[in-house]
Amino acid sequence: MTLMQLSNLCKVFHRGDEEIFAIRDLSLTITEGEFIAITGASGSGKSTLLYLLGLLDTPTSGQYHLRDKATHLLSDDERAELRNAFMGFVFQSFHLLPRATALRNVMMPLVYSTAASSSALNEQQQRERAEAALRIVGLQDRMLHVPNQLSGGQRQRVAIARAIVNSPRVLFADEPTGNLDSKSGKEVLALFERLHSEGVTVIMVTHDPSIAERAHRRLVLGDGALIEDRHAS
Amino acid sequence: MRLKETARLSVESLLAQKLRTALTVLGMVIGVGAVVLLVSLGQGAKNYVLKEFEGLGTNLIVIQPGKSDKKTHFGPPVGAAQRKMTTADVAAIERKALNIKAVSGLILGTVSARHEDSISNITVFGTNEQFPEILSILIGRGEYFSREEDEYRRRVVVIGRNIAEDLFGDDEPLGRSIKLNESEFKIVGVLAPMGNKVGLNFDELAFIPTQAALKLFNEDKLFGIRATASSREGMDDAVAEISEILKERRDGEEDFTIITQISMMESLNTILSMLTYVLAAIAAISMVVGGIGIMNIMWVSVVERTQEIGIRRAVGARRRDILQQFLAEAIGLSVLSGGVGVGGATLLTYALHLFLPSFDMRAPWWIVVPAFLLALLVGIVFGVAPAWRASRIETLDALRYE
Repeated sequence: MTLMQLSNLCKVFHRGDEEIFAIRDLSLTITEGEFIAITGASGSGKSTLLYLLGLLDTPTSGQYHLRDKATHLLSDDERAELRNAFMGFVFQSFHLLPRATALRNVMMPLVYSTAASSSALNEQQQRERAEAALRIVGLQDRMLHVPNQLSGGQRQRVAIARAIVNSPRVLFADEPTGNLDSKSGKEVLALFERLHSEGVTVIMVTHDPSIAERAHRRLVLGDGALIEDRHAS
Repeated sequence: MRLKETARLSVESLLAQKLRTALTVLGMVIGVGAVVLLVSLGQGAKNYVLKEFEGLGTNLIVIQPGKSDKKTHFGPPVGAAQRKMTTADVAAIERKALNIKAVSGLILGTVSARHEDSISNITVFGTNEQFPEILSILIGRGEYFSREEDEYRRRVVVIGRNIAEDLFGDDEPLGRSIKLNESEFKIVGVLAPMGNKVGLNFDELAFIPTQAALKLFNEDKLFGIRATASSREGMDDAVAEISEILKERRDGEEDFTIITQISMMESLNTILSMLTYVLAAIAAISMVVGGIGIMNIMWVSVVERTQEIGIRRAVGARRRDILQQFLAEAIGLSVLSGGVGVGGATLLTYALHLFLPSFDMRAPWWIVVPAFLLALLVGIVFGVAPAWRASRIETLDALRYE
């Protein structure tokens, strides 16, 4: 079943009078349940593509349908609600709130939830959901630690717990292992594979070929255009 | 986002920077505290002055010669009258007015009072025998002079306590004589200690009969007439009667002004209230300064937490959630400053009242509640701009902000 449909998507930045095409006329179809790695040289537009797919950024032109929604027509608030209900994000530098405990960080998406399934949760239920997510990433013993009391790998696992707490359909990751040692990186990848096996669509930006190997489909960008779209055999 | 969560976030964030929160709040605390203190002080002063005035008797009616075109509650300029006001006017009022309990002419001047080698300059009031009733004058020893003593132009005097002490020391002054200028007056009474009443120190006044005073000051007209109404309700009737009687004696011309205690008190009340409001308005300006302090720190807070805003937006916070979060923080700051400022100032006024029981400057409720609400309003007004800015930051820019 088609999850995302991109047609002639462009993203243009302006630097003075100069127009820079971060994404150039890109068309792409992603089906539900895929495990995709987006690779390419730095500046090739791979992060921009990820943010466009994750509704954190809006295209300059072209169309992007998420399931049957024309996302390029949605309001800012509607995109926020979709991100909350439908997507999870994992960033290279974790992006946790430094003053909040692991538990509070993970609870955050539930606080903003307007979806019928989770907006009715009271604080106790939110806490239980967050604790369950932390157990999935193996941090049940670290729930009340703040980020700087945790190692890099643990922080990234908190971020993953936050990304999955609202049971998203898609998980976006931007260089999720970039700031981690190889052991922690492997643990994070193992988590992604596990989530994928449970039906979550995973879309990951990486420049590391060994990590890209693990994905089932590989999109290679160059100068904002799709130059290779290879499914693993 | 739920209200409870918003409140929790703002309290957490204010507690995370305790010193900064305290310093930010301080400006506003001083501002709102000053509003409450100054209004309470003005109110206390007003109560004090009005109480003093009431001590003179609220049924007092002041009749002064002359008419000023402008409406005023403090009488016409001295010497503005075309016609004299005389003891015959007093007699007419006494004879015809039904709602008057007492009426007396008043003539006053400064003389030198001498007894043996002691001399002092004193103010002398020339009145008739009804004057003590009009101004609630209390006699300590002896008595006030009588109607006969006035009519027969007797040179008798009632002196205030301080004059008695100055001239006679510990000796008994009753029955003795003093010289007012060059005329000899016999002392028939000494006032009980009365102290100050609206600027007049009764302990330093002397009272002599009207006829004797006219002669002493070489005058043929009165300074004015003082009367007291039989009752507070009969006040308006008394004023109308006096006005009728005096007009009749002046061929219908209203060449005099009647002022009542009530109208004077109303004027004073207006002036003192105005003063209070002006003070409060000046203090309110410092609340604006406090509000700017809140706005300043909110801007800093928004910039510092740009990345946090990005993270929250990424996981699904809408613009209004961010707006709400930062606005709640500004409101938290103003509630804190309003509470501390209003509460502190109110407690202070109550504490001062303990030390100065005669001067009641306890903060009235009608300033406590509005002052708190005003602090809240200022906080909201100055918190809106930073909160709005926070909600307009683009998610990606915020996420990448270092």
